[in-house]
Amino acid sequence: MAKEVTLDCMGEACPVPLIKTEKALEKLEKGDVLVVQIDHSCAMKNVPEWARKQGHNVEIEEVDDGEWELFIEKV
Amino acid sequence: MKFFDKLKNNENYKKWFKDAFPYVVGALLLSFFQIVTFASTGNPWGVSGVLANWGAWLFRAVGGSVDNWYYFSTPGAQATLQRGVLMDPGSWRNIGIIVGALLATLLASGFKIKKIKSGKQVVAAVLGGLLMGYGARIAAGCNIGALYSGISSLSVSGWVFGLFLLGGAIVGSKLLTKFFL
Amino acid sequence: MSAETTGITSRPSQARRKKKKKNQLPVAFALLLAVVGVAIWLTFVGDNLALFWITGIAFGIILQRSRFCFTACLRDPYLTGSTSVTKAVLIAFAVTSIGFTAIKYGFAAQGLPIPGQSYVAPISAATAIGAFMFGIGMVIAGGCASGTLMRVGEGFWMQALALFFFVVGSLLGAHNYGWWERNFIVSAPRIFLPDVFGWLGGLLCNLAIIAVVYWIAHKWGKRKTQEL
Repeated sequence: MAKEVTLDCMGEACPVPLIKTEKALEKLEKGDVLVVQIDHSCAMKNVPEWARKQGHNVEIEEVDDGEWELFIEKV
Repeated sequence: MKFFDKLKNNENYKKWFKDAFPYVVGALLLSFFQIVTFASTGNPWGVSGVLANWGAWLFRAVGGSVDNWYYFSTPGAQATLQRGVLMDPGSWRNIGIIVGALLATLLASGFKIKKIKSGKQVVAAVLGGLLMGYGARIAAGCNIGALYSGISSLSVSGWVFGLFLLGGAIVGSKLLTKFFL
Repeated sequence: MSAETTGITSRPSQARRKKKKKNQLPVAFALLLAVVGVAIWLTFVGDNLALFWITGIAFGIILQRSRFCFTACLRDPYLTGSTSVTKAVLIAFAVTSIGFTAIKYGFAAQGLPIPGQSYVAPISAATAIGAFMFGIGMVIAGGCASGTLMRVGEGFWMQALALFFFVVGSLLGAHNYGWWERNFIVSAPRIFLPDVFGWLGGLLCNLAIIAVVYWIAHKWGKRKTQEL
């Protein structure tokens, strides 16, 4: 049963969102989705880049001015 | 207002003003402006030297004086301090960087104030800022003046700076994961 | 570990709420007009102030749009194994080196003094120690010198604080600078590659070093993906 887990990284400076995302993904199982909430433009680029490099599926949704949610499906 | 809403949702506008540029495009554009800077001002781009002058002006504003400091004793440094911040080209460039980044963020409708979240961030900002400021002075520059401009000026000092910068970055990363996460 | 420390919650995501987005474009265009206005005003105030203002604006826009980060270029290979920023920075070095060398050569060939030579800095323990300190500082503070300015423009209070202490640190460094100068810098060599290898040789040497580092970064980036 795939679950969806939310990771709040609002207000965190580089590279904290990426490090927290890495750690969180380790704990998930295949098919789970990690929703990373960020407001840092660096993270909006480097987190998806890292996740895609790992082979995961990534979708980026802009939730508000300067706020994004990254939907990372563990593969 | 309708005009702005239409503009914001326009596909071409989004492509040019909202989506991030690839890193390599950034590299090429920065290079272009670095070369323009050098050609038109006679010097490469620098950031941290100006910040030392800001420190001097701030210090003066609270009653201090840097007049018998060796660092500010050169004719050039004295002339800069005398002219004041409003007439200092480097200061305008640094402020320009701040405003340029703000402008780019607003044009992408992505501006958001990010307040400080924790005591850890305060410690990190204070410590990090002090280390950068002090380090840049004694190494004669920062990642722009000493590293980028130094290497581009075919100075071996740029490479030496880069090597030790890497060492510091590794130690900093260890500290970050251990204490500031 | 509680949800507070990790930020992870397992309830169904409330992610799909959509907040009403304000359109910031009107403010953006107002600022753009102000930027142009300042540029025009500066042409009357002083010599090349408008030029510095506009190049600053350009640098700020480029850094923000491309998320260019010198800190990331050195930190990411260690922390995440990613070298994409590193490689882009090296490309910037290469292209800029060519441009700078062409300009410098142009002056030298006419027997004129070479511009920008003050950036050919002395190499001493101060360089090494200063760079090391800067490296630690930039990773902890979440941005280097240009990155800090950029993030202030993006609205980060943390970097505004870091900028203030950057200024304070610079003043402290300037205060101690005399000591460093006397003990290390005054006797330190400045090495300008064209002095050693000639103009073409100097440029090629620089480009060769860049190429080697690029190759290392490329290999490192690939290796790290396979490992993980």
